[in-house]
Amino acid sequence: MKDIENKQEKKESKNNIEFSKKKIFLYGVIPFIILATLIAFLLSPNSQVFLNAGIALPNLTIEKIEFQQDFIIAHVRNTGQFDTVISQADINDRIHPAGVEPSKHLLRFESAKITIPFSWNVGEPYEIGITTSDGTRFSKIIDAAAPTPNPNYEQFSIFAIIGTYVGIIPILIGLLWYPFIKKLNQNKYNFFLSLTVGLLVFLGIDALLESNEIVVSNVSKIFNGQMLIIIGCIITFLGLIYISNRFTQRTQKSKSLIEDKNTDYNESVSSFSSMSTRQEQKDIIKPITLSLMIAISIGLHNFGEGLAIGSAILIGEVALSTFLIVGFTIHNTTEGLAIVAPLTKSGRITIRKLIMLGVIAGGPTIIGAWIGGFLYHPIASVIFLAIGAGAIFQVAYQVYSWFSSYLGNKNTLTNGYIISGFIVGIMIMYLTGLFI
Amino acid sequence: MHESYYICMNLSKSIIILFSLAFIFIVYTGIKLVNPNISSHSQEEKVQRIIGGHTPGYSTSTTNGELIDPISQMIPIEDAVIDPDKYLRDFNYGRVSVSDNGTTIRDFTIVASDQDIKQISPGVFYNVWTFNGTVPGPTIRAVEGDIVRINFINNGSKFHTMHFHGIHKAEMDGVFEGVAPGGKFTYEFIAEPFGVFPYHCHIQPLEEHIVHGLYGVYIVDPKIPRPEADEMVMVMNGYDTDFDTENNFYTVNGIPYYYMHHPIQIKKNDLVRIYLVNMLEFDPINNFHLHANLYNVYKTGTKTTPDEYTDMITMSQGERSILEFKYMYPGKYMFHAHKTEFAEKGWMGLFLVKESVNEKNSTSYTNTADTLSDENDENLNIGTYNKITQKESAAKILKNLTNGGN
Repeated sequence: MKDIENKQEKKESKNNIEFSKKKIFLYGVIPFIILATLIAFLLSPNSQVFLNAGIALPNLTIEKIEFQQDFIIAHVRNTGQFDTVISQADINDRIHPAGVEPSKHLLRFESAKITIPFSWNVGEPYEIGITTSDGTRFSKIIDAAAPTPNPNYEQFSIFAIIGTYVGIIPILIGLLWYPFIKKLNQNKYNFFLSLTVGLLVFLGIDALLESNEIVVSNVSKIFNGQMLIIIGCIITFLGLIYISNRFTQRTQKSKSLIEDKNTDYNESVSSFSSMSTRQEQKDIIKPITLSLMIAISIGLHNFGEGLAIGSAILIGEVALSTFLIVGFTIHNTTEGLAIVAPLTKSGRITIRKLIMLGVIAGGPTIIGAWIGGFLYHPIASVIFLAIGAGAIFQVAYQVYSWFSSYLGNKNTLTNGYIISGFIVGIMIMYLTGLFI
Repeated sequence: MHESYYICMNLSKSIIILFSLAFIFIVYTGIKLVNPNISSHSQEEKVQRIIGGHTPGYSTSTTNGELIDPISQMIPIEDAVIDPDKYLRDFNYGRVSVSDNGTTIRDFTIVASDQDIKQISPGVFYNVWTFNGTVPGPTIRAVEGDIVRINFINNGSKFHTMHFHGIHKAEMDGVFEGVAPGGKFTYEFIAEPFGVFPYHCHIQPLEEHIVHGLYGVYIVDPKIPRPEADEMVMVMNGYDTDFDTENNFYTVNGIPYYYMHHPIQIKKNDLVRIYLVNMLEFDPINNFHLHANLYNVYKTGTKTTPDEYTDMITMSQGERSILEFKYMYPGKYMFHAHKTEFAEKGWMGLFLVKESVNEKNSTSYTNTADTLSDENDENLNIGTYNKITQKESAAKILKNLTNGGN
């Protein structure tokens, strides 16, 4: 019956497509043509009579300030609604000669590098001002000037060492909980896995807040930065859900072995054998896959963290103290726990695989620190952080659906171990975060 | 079931397309953002320009891009709010006629406008309100007892007046008789007492009308003339280009740093007389400091005996003085506001003292301005400075400064 229906539908739709392809195309294009005509009219002098209400103001955003030996370099972008010309540079409201590359004339969204010879003093605050041709001054205050790291071998290795301490080592330490978690019974296991979700949700929210901070302080309103965070987060979230679904579907089809394992696993987990039919349709993910996904999403998060560390050093906001590194180390150890939590119910896992997971999760810190320190760009960081947040929420969602696949939706949210695990996880993150 | 599956598949396909589009967009903008140097400007031939170099002890650098440097760059004079060289020694005595009783009558025509947008500093445009098209307006000069007649035409879009300091009748005070756009008014009064006075528009809001440029200098000479001297007029002013009631630029004679790249040339041992007027708004004081010398101060110019011998005079808004001095040694000497903030926002200049014999155009005090401005090069650097490399810069500049020029 169903097959016949299906065939009929397909036929109908095929006929429909062939019958009205041209028409559909036409219907799709007509609004565009009308829109184009309207825009042409609005841009023509005819419409200027009634459209010339209000005055557009120039806008310039100082995106980045570098402190080099005997120079201060400002990177500015024209974020106004029309082309603008840079006419003057000042430091602490005192006019100074400067060089502008590539040009004083900035089209919309175009940026320029302004080099101002200046003997600045380490640790002192500076206000850099840029005046446009209409006399409007735009300024940015740096709380404490610090030499901007240059991309040389020494700086590269310093960032790599910091990244290793902050990213890789703590996660590897966290992975050492693997044997401990493997010995736990179901309830305790649920508790720890839920604790992982708590950790992840904290990290996700943290990434969102951090990106919001960058948006507020460094990104022009014209880029609609806050929306960019949300969009980046949602796209990543949906995209990863879709991709992981496809991924598991494919593996289920190609490897019937997995199904066996799933049933095995179900028996061992609980008596929810009646769920097995549902599971065939549902996207049940292999624990190792889940761990890998957690590792990747934590890697994305740590990439953002690396960006933040690198750019903080670059901007001169943070003197990277030993205390800060200790704080990050404690904080990030919990990330290792998050990675091993799902692994306990899978079969054996080699140490090599475990280390690989740790490197996947921690390694991006180094890359992030390099990029943040040498190529820092606020919008790029915002996008990376948003992607990281989206990835984290997707993993949290995946773990939740994993729970609900064998506990049921209702039971998941009323399970005391799960709830308390989540709360403890989020609290651990908050408290260890206080060290930073 | 199957229908929904079908829809789901379609949905997923469109989601894939959406994703890839979004991804391409993100990557494209990312590349654009990370490499701001990928520019849509056509790359012209690369010219190395030197940034800075005019302050001893300061680092210099080169750039392939463009320079922004009001200390060494100049405005094409037809675009500028004023030609400070011309203004410096330009005294208007009016069209002279004699009345029935033998009194000298001096007629002046002054046109106010408020629509012009001119450059007040290299690359900075500002809507200036002007008397006869410049900021400051023309210097009006008469002898004590002369009849001064100002034919005032308001060519602007707002009410304007001319309010002269000095002694005159109430109806000639330019306060209550606002002149409407397109209107005219004739101010007539006897030039008294002798001294140096400002004139300015007195329509409210007063600050707005003054800070936009509606002011100038009015000099009344004593009947027995002052000793012959190289006379010049200097108006200290400022511009608030971003309307935050703080000045963005400070100048003497209308353009910041102008006399830094066009030093005022004077002769050694010649008496120099400056009619100095402070028309600065917002900041309550302004001052004038002369390097390596002292001057006699005649406050308000109403006496012929000096009040003070000093190198620093501080004036409030609307205050003025006559300064007299001579330089004994040739060379370049700075003069600037000793409120150093003002100095570093444009209010500084140079005197170039030359030996009186054999060294310069014998008759006039015209300096290099005309020849320089003829080239109309926006990016023109001052003289020798732009050829100096970083290593030798400090020594060479110091040498230049002490030798007194090129």
